[in-house]
Amino acid sequence: MILIPITYKGGVYRHDEVVDYIEDLGGYIVQKHDIAQEIVLQALIPKDDVERFRDFIRPLAGEVTESPLVGTEIAVVIPSLEIHHLPHSACDIAEYLRTVGAKTNMIGLARGFGKRISQLNDEERDVINEHDLAIYVLGNFETCIEQKFNVLRRGIRVPIILTGAPPVDALKRITDPPAAGYVGNLGRFMHRTRTDADIGRLDAVIEEVSHVLSGIRDELAQDPLSISPARLMEVIKEGVPDIDSVYSPTPLTVQLTGLRVKLPFTRYADQIRSLVVEEGILVGDIAEIRPSRMRDYILVQIKPFSETHIVV
Amino acid sequence: MTMMDQFEVECFEEIGRDFYRQITETVLLDHNLTSVVTKLRIFIDPRLPIFVAVGTIRDAGGSIRVSDIGSVQTQGDSTIISIRDETHLAKFLTRLYEIFGHEHIDQPDRFTVVISGIEIPKGFEQLEVVNRADTVFRDLIYAMTVIAPEGFKVRRESYGRDQFFYVASENTLPEHVVEDIVVGQFAQIGEELR
Repeated sequence: MILIPITYKGGVYRHDEVVDYIEDLGGYIVQKHDIAQEIVLQALIPKDDVERFRDFIRPLAGEVTESPLVGTEIAVVIPSLEIHHLPHSACDIAEYLRTVGAKTNMIGLARGFGKRISQLNDEERDVINEHDLAIYVLGNFETCIEQKFNVLRRGIRVPIILTGAPPVDALKRITDPPAAGYVGNLGRFMHRTRTDADIGRLDAVIEEVSHVLSGIRDELAQDPLSISPARLMEVIKEGVPDIDSVYSPTPLTVQLTGLRVKLPFTRYADQIRSLVVEEGILVGDIAEIRPSRMRDYILVQIKPFSETHIVV
Repeated sequence: MTMMDQFEVECFEEIGRDFYRQITETVLLDHNLTSVVTKLRIFIDPRLPIFVAVGTIRDAGGSIRVSDIGSVQTQGDSTIISIRDETHLAKFLTRLYEIFGHEHIDQPDRFTVVISGIEIPKGFEQLEVVNRADTVFRDLIYAMTVIAPEGFKVRRESYGRDQFFYVASENTLPEHVVEDIVVGQFAQIGEELR
């Protein structure tokens, strides 16, 4: 069953029926926002049932759009979050990515600024590596990007999309080894993105991110995961009721190959490991549970079929 | 930006230069400095790396005196000041505390200040509370810090009667090198470093 990421927007009236319908179709709700009289659901639903779902919500005046970034966690990395330089263009990038369903985390490096003096420490490196993809929002000068990009990417294993003021060709020329994606004409500027040209640049980021992620999904399809991250999310939600008392907007953050569980590792890791997915199969059999470098969260990394010989 | 007589940004990287021109315009507009600056020249060399801003400003408006803040009336042995403009009230009160002492100053409500039990010196209404030029230069130097690239932590700034310069880098640069660059940049806008 191929699951498609979608965003549903509709009124509060009868929205519980929409939630039930998604679950009946075999889909999963990744995130639910209650905004005054409006409900926004980010969900994964079976590809074959999208039209059926559209028919179901038509009388409720709801709206369904495909959101390719639902179920992904993206790091927006910026050399510094210095107060002098607010607003940062990265703020708008992170916000815009959220509108299409991605969960974004902004990572302002402690010593990322400057050309000669820029550095990346081990904590920053590990936190970036916990994401599905990283977007490096660098500045306006080719000379600086050329020198500092290699320093800031040291040890990063996830695909990187590089943005900067120089055009894409120039960015490609100065990066060796190449990054996974490039967006030019998007460097440091001091205004909020309001004009059509600005929005166009943000759209280019979404397009590049979607392109890179679809490449990763294709690779994953060659050796599928032992369980879908969305399904594992449901298992944890049912098996660990304490997750309901976490105040974070996404207590369980779905990633392409795993989950971030926003509960303390020391207290809950064993409980999650011993949850039963199906008869005779525990979460610990199909996923690696390890501490996250982000606070004291838990990182669940789902193992591929080739390693477990299990698909549930 | 049309209010400036001269505005230049120089950098060998064209795209970077255009972005910094845009950043400068946005920041000066946000800090209400476009009407104050007459000439501004920014020179950036990311190879060194160095950021230099030199410029001149218009007369910023001079002093704010007691009479600009409120009207002064004498009643018996008290002097009552009715505040018209609260903008510099905090500074004004500080000045009064310095001159007359806390025990003689009272502020019964937001727009009234009473000085009692002490003689008011002659020409009190003409007393300077704030010099606007100081604030303008401070704002200007702050704006330059905002414009300058991130990470340029080694800074040198200076302002005189109507001139200012701001130099920033991530390396410590010898003083004579900085001076030569600044003099050269001033010459480009037809000015001499004073």
